Amino acid sequence: MQTTQTKGAGYNAGLIIRAARITSGLYLLAYVTSHLINLSLGLISIQAMDIARPYLTGTWTGPVMGQLLSLSLLVHFALGLLAIYKRPTLRTSLQDGVQLVTGLLVVPLLATHAIGISMLDDFGVDFSFNQTIRLFWLSQPTLGLVQVVMLAVVWVHGCAGLFTWLRSKENARNILGWLYPLAVAVPVVALLGYAEAGRAVLTQAEAPKIEQAYEAPRQTTENQQAAYTATPAPVVDYALIKQVTRTVIWGSIVLGILTILARWVRVSVIKSERVSLIRDGVGPMPSTSALTMLDGFRQNDQSHASLCEGRGRCGTCAVRILRSEFPLPPPSPLEARTLLRINAPENARLACQVMPAGGRVETAPMYPADYSFHDEKSVLSEPAFEVPT
Amino acid sequence: MIGLFKRLSLILMLCAPTQTWAQDVVVGDIDAPSSNDLHEFTRLLADQRIQTWIQDQADDVDAESETKTISVREQFEIFAAKTGQRVQDLGAAWAAAGHAPTMISERWQEQVTPNRKVRSLTFVMIFLFLGAGLEWLLRQYTNPIRKRLEHGEFETLSQRVLAAFSRAALSLSALVVFAIGSIGAFGAFDWPPLLYSMILNALATIVAIRVFGTVLVLFLAPYVPALRLVPIETPLARGIGRTLFSLAALFIAYIALIDVFERLANPEFGAAQTPDVLAMSVGFGLVCLAATLIAIAICFRMVKRQHGQVSRSHGRWRAYISFLACITFVLWLFDMKIVMWNVALVGGLIPVLRLLGIWVDAAFDRAIADFLAKVEADPIPLPDAIIEDAAEHITLIDEDEPEVIEIVDPYETYRPIAQRLVRFAAIVCVGMLLALIWNLGIFVTTDSPNIAQQVFRVLLDSAAALLIADLVWVWAKTAIDRRLSAYSPPVDGSAPGPEARMATLLPLLRVVLMVTLLAIVIMSILSSVGVNIAPIIAGASVLGIAIGFGAQSLVKDVVSGIFFLIDDAFRVGEYVEIDQLRGNVEKISIRSLQIRHHRGAVHTLPFGELKSMTNHSRDWVIMKLEFRVPFDTDLRLVKKLIKKVGAELKANEVYGDSILETLKSQGVRRMEEFNMVVGVKFMTRPGEQWLVRRDAYQGVRDIFDANGIRMAERNVKVEIEGGDDLTPDQRRAASAAAQEASQNQLPPGPIPDEP
Repeated sequence: MQTTQTKGAGYNAGLIIRAARITSGLYLLAYVTSHLINLSLGLISIQAMDIARPYLTGTWTGPVMGQLLSLSLLVHFALGLLAIYKRPTLRTSLQDGVQLVTGLLVVPLLATHAIGISMLDDFGVDFSFNQTIRLFWLSQPTLGLVQVVMLAVVWVHGCAGLFTWLRSKENARNILGWLYPLAVAVPVVALLGYAEAGRAVLTQAEAPKIEQAYEAPRQTTENQQAAYTATPAPVVDYALIKQVTRTVIWGSIVLGILTILARWVRVSVIKSERVSLIRDGVGPMPSTSALTMLDGFRQNDQSHASLCEGRGRCGTCAVRILRSEFPLPPPSPLEARTLLRINAPENARLACQVMPAGGRVETAPMYPADYSFHDEKSVLSEPAFEVPT
Repeated sequence: MIGLFKRLSLILMLCAPTQTWAQDVVVGDIDAPSSNDLHEFTRLLADQRIQTWIQDQADDVDAESETKTISVREQFEIFAAKTGQRVQDLGAAWAAAGHAPTMISERWQEQVTPNRKVRSLTFVMIFLFLGAGLEWLLRQYTNPIRKRLEHGEFETLSQRVLAAFSRAALSLSALVVFAIGSIGAFGAFDWPPLLYSMILNALATIVAIRVFGTVLVLFLAPYVPALRLVPIETPLARGIGRTLFSLAALFIAYIALIDVFERLANPEFGAAQTPDVLAMSVGFGLVCLAATLIAIAICFRMVKRQHGQVSRSHGRWRAYISFLACITFVLWLFDMKIVMWNVALVGGLIPVLRLLGIWVDAAFDRAIADFLAKVEADPIPLPDAIIEDAAEHITLIDEDEPEVIEIVDPYETYRPIAQRLVRFAAIVCVGMLLALIWNLGIFVTTDSPNIAQQVFRVLLDSAAALLIADLVWVWAKTAIDRRLSAYSPPVDGSAPGPEARMATLLPLLRVVLMVTLLAIVIMSILSSVGVNIAPIIAGASVLGIAIGFGAQSLVKDVVSGIFFLIDDAFRVGEYVEIDQLRGNVEKISIRSLQIRHHRGAVHTLPFGELKSMTNHSRDWVIMKLEFRVPFDTDLRLVKKLIKKVGAELKANEVYGDSILETLKSQGVRRMEEFNMVVGVKFMTRPGEQWLVRRDAYQGVRDIFDANGIRMAERNVKVEIEGGDDLTPDQRRAASAAAQEASQNQLPPGPIPDEP
């Protein structure tokens, strides 16, 4: 009775976390995409950027949507930290590592930009693209550089998440081929737009004095705004903005470090048993009970199919357990669901989810290591993967 | 205009102090110049441009003659002066070393404002992102191919090499996309010269480092053992790969940095290095040297750890390579670039050759192991002990166990060729690099070579000739030896196969080839040293003609012998008939043929004497036999009985296999006075017919006897008219008379049974 209860709870928690992570991530990515499209209008002119701003950026940062956006960011960041805490090992595949590092970097990089502009907005200052570009290219080029780095980091993180999610979905494989060019085009065009706008601003700034004098009245006011010189109408507490920004930056960094430390404590406290894995006759490979089978394979340089990078979604890491010295822990609801979905045989388990308790485990992979959904419809239906008696 | 200049240069010659020349030209009956011409000439001479041009020409001629007469001593002086200058420069650099970094950074500050710096960094980030994005896109589409390559199972060496190279090609194409994306986008903007060179340097550095990384991955494949071309273990491959990559990255970054410093120190291109830059350069050079030494130590330690026990040469190699690095550095320090490259390349060639040798060996061992594994997997019955090592395997077969089925591995004979080929390629590469360096080096005028250059050229030419000859020789020798080793001399009694001819021709060919190659190599070395080889060749040909006339018949023998051999008219061991001589071919030499008669006599025949010959040992022999039987014999029974004998002969275990068509009756061949002649025939391999004939006669006689068929015997039938009732005395008298008559009539004699 009790087991079913805990199972039910775990079921809900796992599913909710997974859904929340994906939903918030997709929402954030959608916003970023829209914002970048706005930025890429810089290839036309800075005016074009500002004209499109209310539609492409403003809709997302309105009163309700803005709250939703902040909430998504918070949830996503918190869930990311939770995932890091729960990770059995930090030495995983390249893509996973990139996602981890970029995920940790996003918030500190983003803080100045996001908090600055949203708080200025709260104070009633409408910070246009014209001003922003001037700020980033003329008065604070270091900030501009940070923006470029941030754009790269955010986009790489978002795409890594999106494509991992899509790749684990069998029916999404047709979309992928079309999404790849878009995934490159959007940030590249945005960056070029940013660069072009910057060049426009720079040439304007370096233009001879006569032209500057001609445009002087308008420019000076803008420059005053850009240089944080308070205009009389909106009262802006710049010290507060800086304070908040600094707090967020350092807070997120400390949180990240704390999470990693906590994970390290958790991993070192857990008493792990020795496990020796045998995969398809190769082995025995040394592993521990703190690692999933997939991590065990990877630590021993055995490549193993895993399209969702160990999130238990795709089922491509499934293995048949031929023999296990000690009984394996029962499948978690997440694992059970995926196993059910892929019509796995009785003795199949997901290598990315199961952590052998110890001893010698003999397994046979159900999919070839270079498997992707681009291949045959389903390998499972082939007789080669029949369950041996 | 050009004609005018030509005429002017002629005048220049006239003015030049070489008087005899001038006289030569003046000689000849040319009309005296008209006054107009003279006026024109004086006007031209007064022209300032013409004067400077003439002056320049004269200077050039002077300079040319100077370089031509440069002597060894002067060269040494120049060298010493250069070295002294370099030492002074180094001293200045040492003095400047303290404030060089601040100097450089000051220059940096004054040329590039902080804002500009950050902005250009922003641009670099954007370009890098652009390149990386395009590369990522390409990778997404090529990933399935890459994965298939990385996880594939390859059976043969060629498949593996192909897969490794395909993977490298994929990586390189991604890299090209990256380079085009980043550098192309960079080139689309206008830049100030300093920033331009700096950013280009940065991007090119990244691309160069990545290209090197790709090459490393191609050979070491740290994560995919199946695609590794170099035969080392995974941890070693990873360690060495990482070390080499870091080292190369350091060197590339060093080159790029020094370039940037130079541009910072003197913006105009091509000026000499300032002491500051030199100091920085030497400092970084020291860092590079230290890194190289550390890398060497790390690599050797990793090898040691991996293999546990190492040979004594291990330490020696380490010391050698470290020493080489130090020497190279010192030479570089004193700006002796050409000597440095020579030392580095030639010194580096030695360990590289050794490594290549080991590599080729390992590749062959692997290929042979693969082959043996495949043979083992096949269902063909094989000897129980399949020997892993090919070398072991061969010696074992040579030693004993003749009944072991020989596994002919297809690679072993190619091993020496591959070794030579790889060595040849390496040496040629180094030689070409050296040639490039020498030609591009300090000796700008190549038409006035000095002694070092001459010696170098001679060495290079000789080495090339030797290497090519060596390669051809080894190839031919292995090919010939392979053919020869495949040939086994025929067992007594059996006819030799077609490859027996090769056993005659190939050693001859080998000697001819060796002599030819040797002659060519010696000639080309002599010609590169500067000896005029035309007289040698001419003398050799005259001598050849003389000898040719003198030894006409000898030449005739040799040439016709070669053609007999090519025609495959006879082989060693065959039974031939030439005019009146018969016997087995015992020996074929370059000039003559020796045949041994079956009674032991040996005949020697020069090939020139051979007009035609009969070969009795080719393919098959038909033998016909005859039996005489009385007229009342049942021919059907005879046919049946002979067929039976034929079957018995065919079943004989000694010569049964040699019978192509066994004994069979041909029916009555002819009728004679007192009997019928029954013909039989059979077909065997050459040389087997005698044995078969013996047994055929015996068998037929026995079986006729058993079945009541008598062989016809000579008898005289006397018919006496009306003599039905003769007394015994009369009968006796009559038969005696008849016998007497018949003996007189027919003299007894053997009846030939051979065709």
